[in-house]
This record gives sequence, C-alpha cells and structure tokens, in this order.
Amino acid sequence: MAGTLNAPSETVARLAGIDTLVRRGGSGTPLLVIHGELGVPGWLESYSLLGQSHDVIVPSLPGYGASQRPDWIMSIHDLAAWITWFARDSGIDTPVNVIGCSMGAWAAVEIATVAPHFFGKLVLTGPMGIKPSKGEIFDYFLENGMTGLRRNFHQPESSAEFQRFYGKELSVEETDIIEQHREMTCRMVWKPYMHSLTLHGLLPAIRTPTLIVQGSEDKITPLDCGAYYANAIPGARHVTIAGSGHAVEMEKPQEFAGLVREFLNG
Amino acid sequence: MQRQFFFFSEMGYNAYPEEEADKYGYTSLMFPNSIFDPQKARDLWQMFLREHEFASEMGFDGSVCNEHHNNVLSMQESVNISAAVLTQRIKGTIALIGNPLPIHDNPVRVAEEIAMLDLISGGRIISGFVRGTGIEQLSTNANPAYNRERFEEAFQLIKKAWTVPGPFRWEGKHYHLRVVNPWQLPLQQPHPPIWAGGILSPETIRWAAKQRITYLVLGSALEATASCREIYHEVAREDGWIPGPEKLGYLIHTSVMDTDEEAFEMGKYHYGGTSAIGRGKSTGGALTQGTGSAGASSGPHPEWAAPPGYISAEAKQGAMARERRMSEGTYEGAIKAGLIVSGGPKTTIQKFKHIIDRTDPGYLTFWAREGRKPHEATMRGIELLGKEVIPELREHKSALVTGKEVTPWPEH
Repeated sequence: MAGTLNAPSETVARLAGIDTLVRRGGSGTPLLVIHGELGVPGWLESYSLLGQSHDVIVPSLPGYGASQRPDWIMSIHDLAAWITWFARDSGIDTPVNVIGCSMGAWAAVEIATVAPHFFGKLVLTGPMGIKPSKGEIFDYFLENGMTGLRRNFHQPESSAEFQRFYGKELSVEETDIIEQHREMTCRMVWKPYMHSLTLHGLLPAIRTPTLIVQGSEDKITPLDCGAYYANAIPGARHVTIAGSGHAVEMEKPQEFAGLVREFLNG
Repeated sequence: MQRQFFFFSEMGYNAYPEEEADKYGYTSLMFPNSIFDPQKARDLWQMFLREHEFASEMGFDGSVCNEHHNNVLSMQESVNISAAVLTQRIKGTIALIGNPLPIHDNPVRVAEEIAMLDLISGGRIISGFVRGTGIEQLSTNANPAYNRERFEEAFQLIKKAWTVPGPFRWEGKHYHLRVVNPWQLPLQQPHPPIWAGGILSPETIRWAAKQRITYLVLGSALEATASCREIYHEVAREDGWIPGPEKLGYLIHTSVMDTDEEAFEMGKYHYGGTSAIGRGKSTGGALTQGTGSAGASSGPHPEWAAPPGYISAEAKQGAMARERRMSEGTYEGAIKAGLIVSGGPKTTIQKFKHIIDRTDPGYLTFWAREGRKPHEATMRGIELLGKEVIPELREHKSALVTGKEVTPWPEH
C-alpha cells in the first residue's frame, strides 16, 4: 500500500510562534496542504498517493489537532499570515505548490492576493470565501459536529476514509477534538459566515496557476463558488469529480491525487 | 438584609398547537414564526402582566423579568421593555435577569436603558446580566466562541459608564466606542445592584464572586445550588471577605395550591413533558439540566443550546451532569431533587425552610407561572404564596447563620 511505502513523520515543534503538529511524508518537491474547517484526522490515503511524487507537508493549523490556539488569530486573513510564517520557519522554499481544502482554500487564496511569490501552483478543493449567487454555504453551526462531518461525504458509508476515521464509536477525546475544531472555525468565520466581503475584488489580480476541484455532490460549498473562483482568477480551471461530496481528498483519493499530479506536472 | 421574595414568569407563548411542536420536535430557533398568532399573544400579554400585578398586590417584594429570542419559552424579547412596563404595574422591585450582554454590539445602550428604568421607577431596579443561552447567540448572530469574553468586557464597560465620569473612549477587544458619555445615569448610586445569572457554570460563579456581585441560580436543583454557594464562598474566603445572603439569589419552579395533591397536578405544567414550553416535546431535559432556559432546545437539537465554544469543558463535566443524574429525567425525580417545589402551603413552607437552611439566599424568586398552567390556578398559587407562605418565610433565619438543625424535607 502507498501508505506504508512513505510512512509519514508526525512531530510537534515550535513553528511560527506556536507549538505546531506537522505530518510529513513522501519524497519529491514539497507540496503544502492547508486543511479545512474539519482539521486533519490523520495521514490520508490521498497524501500517500501524492507522496509518491512529492514531499507532502500537512500542518495542523493553529487551534486544530495538537496545534496551539493563539488568541490573536481571529480571521482567515490572520490564519493566512500565519501560514506564510509557518512555511518560512519550516524551511519550505517558495514558490511552493499548495493544496488548500475548503476553508483552507480560502486562506490560500488570501495569500495569493498579497504574496504571489509564495506559490508555484495552487489547488483549491470546495473553496470557501465567496458568497455563492446560487445556494448557500452549509451552516455547520446549526448542526452538530457529526452531521457536518457526514455531510462532507456523498456516501459516507462507502467511503473508506470516512469509515476509517469516523465510522466507529468515537472516544471522548475524539469527540472533544471535533468540538475544538468547530470552536476554532467559529472564532474565524462566524460573521460573515465562511466568506469574505472583499475577496472578489482581489481575485482578478491573482497570477498563480490555479485548479479548483469540487465533488459533483458537494453539499457544503455550492458548485457556484468553485465556478466563481474559476471565472475570476485568470487561467483557473474548475473540475468536478463525479460521485464525490465536499471532501474530495477523502472520498475520492485516487481521482483527486490523479488530478493534482497531472496539474502539478503539466 | 431582610430576605426578599419575588415573582417570576417567563411569559411564554403557550398558544402554539401541540401538533406543530410534535411535527418539528422543537419549539425554538427554527420553529417557524408562521405559527405565531398576534391575537393570542396580545391576550397572553394582558394575562401575564395581570399576574405580575397581582403578585405585587399579594405582598411579593418584586417581580423578575427576563429575555429570550426565537423561542416560545418566553415572549420577552427585550427584558428592558418588560421592566419598563412593570415599573408602571407593580409597586416593588423589578429584577432583570437579565440583559444578555454578549448579544449586544453596543453595551452602552444597555447602560442607558437601565439608567432610564432606574430613574422612571424611582430606584427600584436590580440589573442582572447573563451570557444568554446558545439560542440567543444563534438568533442574534453573536459569536458563541467569544461569549464569555464579550460578557466580561461588556460588563466592565457598563460598570465604567456608570461609575467613571464621561466622556471617555473605549478600545477593547470586542467593543470600540469613540465616546462613552451616557447622559442619564442611574438614580441608585453608584449603580443599581448587579446580579449575574447562571446555570451553574463554575466560571461564572467564580467570576461573580471576584466581582462581589450577586449570583442568581437559575432554576437549579437544591444540591447543585448548595455547591454553587460553596464555590462562591470559597473564592470570597481566598479574597478575604465573607458574602452575606444578598450575594445569592435562587430562582425555583414553585407550584403551590390549597392541597399537596392539587399542587402536584399543577406542578406538571412546570415540567417540560407537560408544558413543552420551549423544550421540545419529547424531553424533560430542560429541567433536568437545571433550567428551562438553557435546555430550551434539548432533545433533537442540543447543539443549539451549546454552539461551538459556548460551554466550557469544565461546565460540561461539572454540576449540570451531576444534577442530571439526580433528577432522573422524570417529573417525580424533578420534585425529589427540588427542581420543582410543590405542595400545599404547609408543605411548601417546610420545603422552603429547608432550602433556606441549606442555601440562605437573600433573594428567593418563585417561578410560579409556567407553560399552559391555567390562569386561575396561577392566581390562586400567587395568592397562597403571598398570604401564607412568604409571611412564614420572612422571619426564618437560615441554619447556616443560627447553627440550628436544618428543617427536614417533608417525607411524602
């Protein structure tokens, strides 16, 4: 299995002002993953697949997983600034290729608007940050944590990744982590919910080659959001993966890794 | 101080069809307001206000009003408007329990309104502050993750507005005001008594003790209330002072009728399963969690009561969980745990003497109207409380003060 071929390291180190959990595996050119509002439950199958050709670096963002929560991160903009600091402290050479997932995609785009030299290429999955003109971004805070997690998948019951991490009786610690992630997300995106009022004006300035990947059955971010990004960022493409929900990197790891590799190598 | 006795009613919208509550499984936040009937609400307002007035006539020292949003639990969407009306309808004190500070983006407005109320009422206001339930945060879009920070900062700002001559500028974390200079200041100097209401969150109890303000226990069981008093006194001891009874308020569901049996029957209206006021049809969770308010959406949507960051891990594991076990989730369990005090006058007096002996609250508030309880029964209960129960309790000194034996809880 790919997972055993490039077993990841898992370390907590003082980076960018906080104790940060970093998972890192594979070999090749660096590929930085900025996770979304649900955090990272572990080393994903898609990371293993991408690790065949890349050095995949997955920090748990501040307030997620075992990474500390500093009081000063109150917005996605703050988070974006922290990510650039993290890359510098981690010795990651820029420009670097980046995957930003969902809320993490929004953070990545914030960086792209102010620090174009940061990126090689940019992959966004189910990107938050833009108010859809059709439909609404799913409101996690009116539902419980597990409902939100399930909704990230088109068919949670037949997703190996969902079953591996969430398809079991969760321990108190695991439930607490889900709540901790919800709270950190709440701190940053409560109002206006999961979108920026200004980002749309800055998107046309982005010069980073960008691929937007979304599940055809995304019930978290309306497809309209992905399409908006693709229209607004010069040269960007919007690709959907059939039969996948919002968390494409978890529900369709093969297809997702294939698309990313093709885009990065192309 | 001489112990004071107040009347409380959530003034809930009890006119919704039961089958709608069954259909949705909840009666708050997302319960569609197309179900609301203004004609019925107008009549309810008149009935509820008359009950307050009657309590005043029967010798209660004051009335207590409250605030909730998007909830049949209470029609009071502005506690300050409730209080304004009560200033014109009752003689005694009006305690607001209270203004949910975190939902306000300009706390100085609260300071202004309380000052107006104090002036209009001739200094009869007690100004309670609360964090608001989870539903308040969701319905007013106040970030629940900053609920406690906003509460504490708003409190400091209001207190400063009342005590430090303006104009001054406020640049805090959550509040930013160029000019703080409210023209009207309270009649009671330096400000009306301040209460903090809570449902046993240990942080709030400790915080209230640090601020030396009265902590009001909102409808919790006796054991939990006694331990809450302990926490308060412990903090005070560390800070080198001894709180008097005026530092504890206790709000209790109370069903008094002429006989124990009648009271037991009417007490059922106080229990979620019967009145279903704001609590979801299927659950008695509200009372067993210690309050009709915070448990207001328990059942199918507990996440509304506890959105992200609203409840600390300590509070989750603490008193509320203990209390839940004690009441066993039944009406009888709630009676046994003292979540609802029920009885004829004699039994009620004995129960409250026991409660006073154990907790010595300076302010005892009877939650004596609830749900669909008939108006006549409510009025009779108010009359019995005013004429028979309160006079007996007024002179009762707590065993915590006298060192005498605790009045036993009635057997049956």
